[in-house]
Amino acid sequence: MRMTKNRGRAALALAAVGLLGLTACGGGAPSAEVDLGSGPAEAGTVKADALSGHTLTFASYGGIYQDGQMEAAGKPFGEESGATILSDGPMEYAKIQAQVESNNVTWDVVDMDSTWAAGQCGKNLQKLDYSIIDISNVPEELTSDCYVPAMQYANVVMYNTEKYGQNAPKTWADFFDVEKFPGKRAINGSDVGPVIEGALLADGVAEKDLYPLDVDRALKKLDTIKDQLIYWSTGAESQQMLETGEADMAVVWSGRAYSAVKNGAKYEPAWDTGVLVADVLGVPTNAKNPKASMAFINYYLGKEQQEKLTETTSYSPINTQSEPMIDDLAKKYLVSAPEIKDKLVVSDFTWWGENYPAALEKYLAWING
Amino acid sequence: MTALLESSVGPAAPAGPTPGTAAGRRGRGWTVFLLLLPAALLVVAMFSYPLLVAAWRSFAYPELGTQNYAWFFDGATNIGVLLRTVWVAFLTTVICLAFAYPYAYLMVISGRRLKTLLLVLVMVPFWTSLMIRTFAWIILLQDNGLVNEGLGLFGIGPLPLMRNTTGVLIGMVQVLLPFMVLPLYNAMAGVDMRLMQAATSLGARPSTAFLKVFVPLAMPGVLSGSLLVFIQALGFYITPALLGSPTEMLVSQYIYAQVNGQLQWGRGSVLGVVLLVTVLVLLAAAAALGRAGRRRQGATAKREAA
Repeated sequence: MRMTKNRGRAALALAAVGLLGLTACGGGAPSAEVDLGSGPAEAGTVKADALSGHTLTFASYGGIYQDGQMEAAGKPFGEESGATILSDGPMEYAKIQAQVESNNVTWDVVDMDSTWAAGQCGKNLQKLDYSIIDISNVPEELTSDCYVPAMQYANVVMYNTEKYGQNAPKTWADFFDVEKFPGKRAINGSDVGPVIEGALLADGVAEKDLYPLDVDRALKKLDTIKDQLIYWSTGAESQQMLETGEADMAVVWSGRAYSAVKNGAKYEPAWDTGVLVADVLGVPTNAKNPKASMAFINYYLGKEQQEKLTETTSYSPINTQSEPMIDDLAKKYLVSAPEIKDKLVVSDFTWWGENYPAALEKYLAWING
Repeated sequence: MTALLESSVGPAAPAGPTPGTAAGRRGRGWTVFLLLLPAALLVVAMFSYPLLVAAWRSFAYPELGTQNYAWFFDGATNIGVLLRTVWVAFLTTVICLAFAYPYAYLMVISGRRLKTLLLVLVMVPFWTSLMIRTFAWIILLQDNGLVNEGLGLFGIGPLPLMRNTTGVLIGMVQVLLPFMVLPLYNAMAGVDMRLMQAATSLGARPSTAFLKVFVPLAMPGVLSGSLLVFIQALGFYITPALLGSPTEMLVSQYIYAQVNGQLQWGRGSVLGVVLLVTVLVLLAAAAALGRAGRRRQGATAKREAA
């Protein structure tokens, strides 16, 4: 009996060694060998050639956003650390989960929506080691045990200046007032988001009492303007609705709003309706080389990297020291600027993380109802 | 379904040379087996296995039980999405048939040069990327697109041509039209046109000859074309996602929302399984109808012969 058990154990050990060998071949050297140097981490830096021979895969949403991320952080990080940085995407939550569950994680650093990431700590996302990642210049409300912000932006009501002129909508109450402000309103039809906060604010809920959000009440409020609503499914579509003038008012991402106005759309943001949200960076559970992943994240958060990111993508930096060189129009959409940030409601990522699936279910049912 | 598809190919292929000795027959059996093996393995690995996994997940994700089915039959939204999907697929099939039937007929009766031209016109979009065609439709159909600006010259519009079922239908019909035209052409080309001449020489009006002789003989093409279009339309994703509206979701979009937005693999699987079962039921009904139709036809033929 004992013999068999031992033999079984030996076989297991052999198998484990074999597996280790396989992982080592597949994912570069084991993480234990990574030496990131001594002393406290400093955002935007990495020890020279610390990751020679390693390969990291960064997954994000593609387009100019991911190009900008690679330009600002991916490429220079690869050059300084010696690592090969691959860019993959588009990021899909189901893909992260499939990788984690099959224990074959090919994405080392992932850019995600904060609302989703906040519900995944300890599940699909692992805890970050803040001795490797320096967040001293990152707003605390945008970080958690499992993620740091990748950039920040706002969901904001844009209104047509030609249509409304002097009598412009300013608040969520105005957005819901179809008599005083007639016209088509566009909202995101494929994802639930800050329109819920907006509906509750318009319904008289005080800003400090917003969370936990009463989704049913918000949907009831949205019912009152349903015949005036049109829906966009992608960011590109929302921008198009502004550029063609199809929507008189639209809740859009501030980055898309800026691009539309830059292309000549006659719209203005009503910043009092803004809800601050963020994309976040995290490391999937079972990632092959978490220490290297976190070194990348630490580099990404640097002052200069964030400046470059804003200059190339128009999303706002999350390093409070960053002073991007951008034109006056882009400055008008910089949600990190105090005069704008003070007007914004900061989305409660934790609430959203825990309640996102249920809220999405209700929202989709309401839209298709 | 196989029976229906086979019937469109026309008369059954000749059985081949008569087998020789018993040993030869056995040898041939092995050859057939070996020849089929790669295809069978491919089907099992690429089709059956994922299907079984999805079916299993519908009962086993996130935990064992029927909760995902309970969820599906609980919500009016879910049933509504399923019915809408079947309805849109049905409309697509009918519209495709309406366009393809005269087109295929024209191909059959036209000369070689026109026939080639007509065939090329069907095939060129077929060879163009689905994404490119769908984006082209967006540019054409949007409020200030080419179609609406053209209509504007006559004081019409702008008509809401996309972000609704109209847009989805336009896009899907355009994409699926070749799948209707080709089986129809195949069936119609096999119809002996002298039968129509015979009918007219026996006193039938041309329209009667067409309806009583040509249409029934071309029916297998209608059936197989309709099946091809209908089944593909049920699972369409890109076209409804880009030309449709989130307020009028189809099953494929709904599966995406469940799996990617909420990580509800179980619910996504249920949607897939329910769609598959719906298709099978509809196909069984169509096959039964087809059999009944053939029996009736056979009976009439016998009566008339007698």
